[in-house]
Amino acid sequence: MKVDILHQPESAIAKIDMAPQEELTAEAGAMVSMSGHMNVNTTLRKGKGGGVFGGLKRMLAGESLFLSVFRSGEQPAEIYLAPKLMGDILPYQIDQHELVIQSTGYLASTPGVDLDLGFQGLKSVFSGESIFWLTASGSGLVLLSAFGGIYEIKVDGEYIVDTGHIVAFEKTLSFSITKAGSSWVGAFLGGEGLVCRFQGQGRLFCQTHNPGAFGRLIGSKLPPR
Amino acid sequence: MPVHLKQARCLLHNLNTHSQINPMTTETAYEIQHSPAYAALTLQLQANQTVLVESGAMAAMDSHIKMKSKVQGGLMKGLGRMLGGESLFVSEFTAEGRPGELLISPGVPGDIRHYHFEGNNGLMVQSSGFVAASPTVTIDSKFQGFKGFFSGESLFLLKVTGYGDFWFSSFGAIIEIPVAGDYVVDTGYIVAFEDTLNYKVEMLGGLSFKGLRTGIFGGEGFVCRFSGTGRLWIQSRQLYPFVNFIHPFRPVKSS
Repeated sequence: MKVDILHQPESAIAKIDMAPQEELTAEAGAMVSMSGHMNVNTTLRKGKGGGVFGGLKRMLAGESLFLSVFRSGEQPAEIYLAPKLMGDILPYQIDQHELVIQSTGYLASTPGVDLDLGFQGLKSVFSGESIFWLTASGSGLVLLSAFGGIYEIKVDGEYIVDTGHIVAFEKTLSFSITKAGSSWVGAFLGGEGLVCRFQGQGRLFCQTHNPGAFGRLIGSKLPPR
Repeated sequence: MPVHLKQARCLLHNLNTHSQINPMTTETAYEIQHSPAYAALTLQLQANQTVLVESGAMAAMDSHIKMKSKVQGGLMKGLGRMLGGESLFVSEFTAEGRPGELLISPGVPGDIRHYHFEGNNGLMVQSSGFVAASPTVTIDSKFQGFKGFFSGESLFLLKVTGYGDFWFSSFGAIIEIPVAGDYVVDTGYIVAFEDTLNYKVEMLGGLSFKGLRTGIFGGEGFVCRFSGTGRLWIQSRQLYPFVNFIHPFRPVKSS
């Protein structure tokens, strides 16, 4: 499998050349175009546990993900994948470290990567926005997508990131949610909302723009729905 | 009337006729800048040269260039397009008397490509993809007969033929794919394709979320399946998913 990222950073699109009998998992809806003989199957991936009602609850909370599996079959095949918003794509190689990914930051992964939905640690913070977290483990390639450019920070010690700017981080990092300033009033009125304080050692991937801030800016200027 | 004047008029007439029969010799000098995210098109018009431009896309021009609003293909055809949900209003720009520069920006940020018609080739272009064209190019809208219920997507195509230059645009970057055989594209990502390709719109079961009976996400899985040989241009983003992203941020109507 050969992955090329074209038109970085703002219009990034991934071109993947697959050998015969190869497989690729992607967020449903990410497919732009592909060879005609490619075999596709889309399923709903839910968070684990909870039975039918648990699954339903999670679905409504947005904690479910439609995933498409693409199989090349007998012949080589090509496929183009793109995220929804303007921004960059970053290939990340998973081996020993698990990666926590913000749900809209996941674009695709190779078969050796296991995806687990509903990483709970950050959930309460994002109530109201349908953001949840995935944990990717195993070994293989994950394609991350961002709103705007992606930059990497090698955290060693402590580091603070606005929650709206996180794309993914290695699970070797521990974190706590806190306010940016010293007062809680300022945290909400001042616009600098909640931040994530990371601790330890590991790689952190951030996006240059905050989709929520952008959405609120445009949305507030539109007529009511 | 003196004979020599009559002859001169005749000569002039012949010249005009000639320029209409053989317009492909006058390929327009152009430049596309700021690709692929913010592409803008600059045309260097020769004296008295006319181009058709998507209505509202003129960004800047020399002061002697004259503009005339026009509906391509006459009023009734334009009306038909409007009823079909798409209108193709174009403006005519003419550099009167001397050469002039015209700067064109599509309404949506993205990329621009050029295509040259020589009378024997045709191009199908996604309906909002028209940017500019020589007046000798013929544009005809063609409804492809389906509309997605959830996303508002529809596949209206313009059939472009004739002689001369044509420029089309996208949302996001444009990628050219040389199709040979069987190729599938999500309908929302089609920018243009040569009419040597056969195509049919179908629902690809494996891509559809609807089959999963969830309803709330509304993924159609509509694709265009191409066969044959020809060039295809796709875009790296779609406008409707972007609009759908903004939608939940709109204020809620207070009753």
